[in-house]
Amino acid sequence: MALLKVKFDQKKRVKLAQGLWLMNWFSVLAGIIIFSLGLFLKIELRKRSDVMNNSESHFVPNSLIGMGVLSCVFNSLAGKICYDALDPAKYARWKPWLKPYLAICVLFNIILFLVALCCFLLRGSLENTLGQGLKNGMKYYRDTDTPGRCFMKKTIDMLQIEFKCCGNNGFRDWFEIQWISNRYLDFSSKEVKDRIKSNVDGRYLVDGVPFSCCNPSSPRPCIQYQITNNSAHYSYDHQTEELNLWVRGCRAALLSYYSSLMNSMGVVTLLIWLFEVTITIGLRYLQTSLDGVSNPEESESDSEGWLLEKSVPETWKAFLESVKKLGKGNQVEAEGADAGQAPEAG
Amino acid sequence: MAPVLPLVLPLQPRIRLAQGLWLLSWLLALAGGVILLCSGHLLVQLRHLGTFLAPSCQFPVLPQAALAAGAVALGTGLVGVGASRASLNAALYPPWRGVLGPLLVAGTAGGGGLLVVALGLALALPGSLDEALEEGLVTALAHYKDTEVPGHCQAKRLVDELQLRYHCCGRHGYKDWFGVQWVSSRYLDPGDRDVADRIQSNVEGLYLTDGVPFSCCNPHSPRPCLQNRLSDSYAHPLFDPRQPNQNLWTQGCHEVLLEHLQDLAGTLGSMLAVTFLLQALVLLGLRYLQTALEGLGGVIDAGGETQGYLFPSGLKDMLKTAWLQGGVACRPAPEEAPPAEAPPKEDLSEA
Repeated sequence: MALLKVKFDQKKRVKLAQGLWLMNWFSVLAGIIIFSLGLFLKIELRKRSDVMNNSESHFVPNSLIGMGVLSCVFNSLAGKICYDALDPAKYARWKPWLKPYLAICVLFNIILFLVALCCFLLRGSLENTLGQGLKNGMKYYRDTDTPGRCFMKKTIDMLQIEFKCCGNNGFRDWFEIQWISNRYLDFSSKEVKDRIKSNVDGRYLVDGVPFSCCNPSSPRPCIQYQITNNSAHYSYDHQTEELNLWVRGCRAALLSYYSSLMNSMGVVTLLIWLFEVTITIGLRYLQTSLDGVSNPEESESDSEGWLLEKSVPETWKAFLESVKKLGKGNQVEAEGADAGQAPEAG
Repeated sequence: MAPVLPLVLPLQPRIRLAQGLWLLSWLLALAGGVILLCSGHLLVQLRHLGTFLAPSCQFPVLPQAALAAGAVALGTGLVGVGASRASLNAALYPPWRGVLGPLLVAGTAGGGGLLVVALGLALALPGSLDEALEEGLVTALAHYKDTEVPGHCQAKRLVDELQLRYHCCGRHGYKDWFGVQWVSSRYLDPGDRDVADRIQSNVEGLYLTDGVPFSCCNPHSPRPCLQNRLSDSYAHPLFDPRQPNQNLWTQGCHEVLLEHLQDLAGTLGSMLAVTFLLQALVLLGLRYLQTALEGLGGVIDAGGETQGYLFPSGLKDMLKTAWLQGGVACRPAPEEAPPAEAPPKEDLSEA
């Protein structure tokens, strides 16, 4: 009892082959889309690898790029097969290759589904690398004279301006590190000396933030220094002032950006996966219906197409039998040879 | 009545003409699409930058005209594709016979007119940008502090975002901020002596400082941004004279915006010129194809020679014919309907 049997006459077969040919070419386009999505994500991750400690995982974009390329290759091959399927002579060339090819297609679809799932699930590792990377980035903010780290100030400033965020979890992170380079501190000033003495590590800590934390939507000019000192500024209460600086931390901002990027890529990949599954099913029907045409002379005759020749449990049993036979065959051949050759059957 | 600019077209050159026309029509459609994209982009840019252009500035008319011209060019290209394909296929041509004449007229008058108008605007309008930007930026900077005045409360945010995005400061430099009160009076302490001194020393009672807003700061500077007391060289010790320009953005927003908008207008103008050329070629080709096929009586496959022309007779003759036709039509109860070729000739005489 075959699974999902469908009757095919010549016209229907031709229509199926033509439809599949068209769908395969659209699928090549979809493969290019997946490739460019992976490339885009890779570029975005590399652009900000400075604040991610250079240790971010590129698994998702690399797998998207790989799947895109594979999809293009498989689908153009399938398109060629569908094009030749209408000509019995050309089809006879492809006949022996179709079954393994379909098996590979099923495997490809499974991997594509797993990659789509990965797009949704791998944000946790990104959170850790971001937290670590931002902490280090802020530590090196003042090292504009140290080779290898002189660009960190610019990177963090542009990041805070672009993503509208301040600090790691909030603007108070800047109060805990010295972000003003010693080179620009006037050590003869009493205020500077007092601050450095009052700190255990001899660091110059202020309750101030860099200019890039300023929020342009604030009605008053930006208050960057003496943020927690209400009396230093006229008509200012730092507890209620919300618009002065960006309130979001850069870790949350970057995480939400990359999450939304990967989520949308996951959705697109899932849709393309559905499309690919449809194509594989159609190809299976085409293969079985063309095989059903018993006599190559009577290419006009009706035939049946199905997904599986027998029902699912029977097919599974037959598959296990064939695997065992393969193992037994190997054993028989290896009888005369080394006895250590284990059978392939699981 | 000698036809104007006749061209003998046997079968092979006719086919070549149709094929070449097909290619040119696709190019025209592509150019029309590119113009649509460019003018759409310019419109979006102007929406953001509209506050910095004086309200009397006519510059936004340019992308709107270009949008219309691009749409018509796209339509003409698609018509050309269809007509040239149909002219090679006897079964497809008959529906095009009646439509092609009026379409050519519409394409020449409408499309050509729009393209010429848009091209003229692209050449003339960027000149007025300078004054418009000057006026707009002066107003924007003056209203920077008016964050509580309805109608101007967005000025601070827009100017800050402009300076942050385009990497500029002030109108022509950071010193423009010294001449404008950019701190709202609401946040000035009237009891502070320094504030009172500054306001009194000024004729208009403005609070002027030698400081700039945070958005002028340049992230490339190695030291934290110096925003205040910029004209006092002793105020910030250890100021490195080797890097005087890195603290703030050196460019003025006027120059940056002018260059940006003029570049966009220039790109649009060159695309319009190319499209104008393509459209002229396509319309000419279509006219020759149409008249050549009319000469065969609409039967495509006939291998005979035929003549294509621009106008069936010279301008004077056409005007005379049109005058007579008009006279005949005005007289009561004309006996015959005018022949089919006469209305296209009359219409073309207007083009």
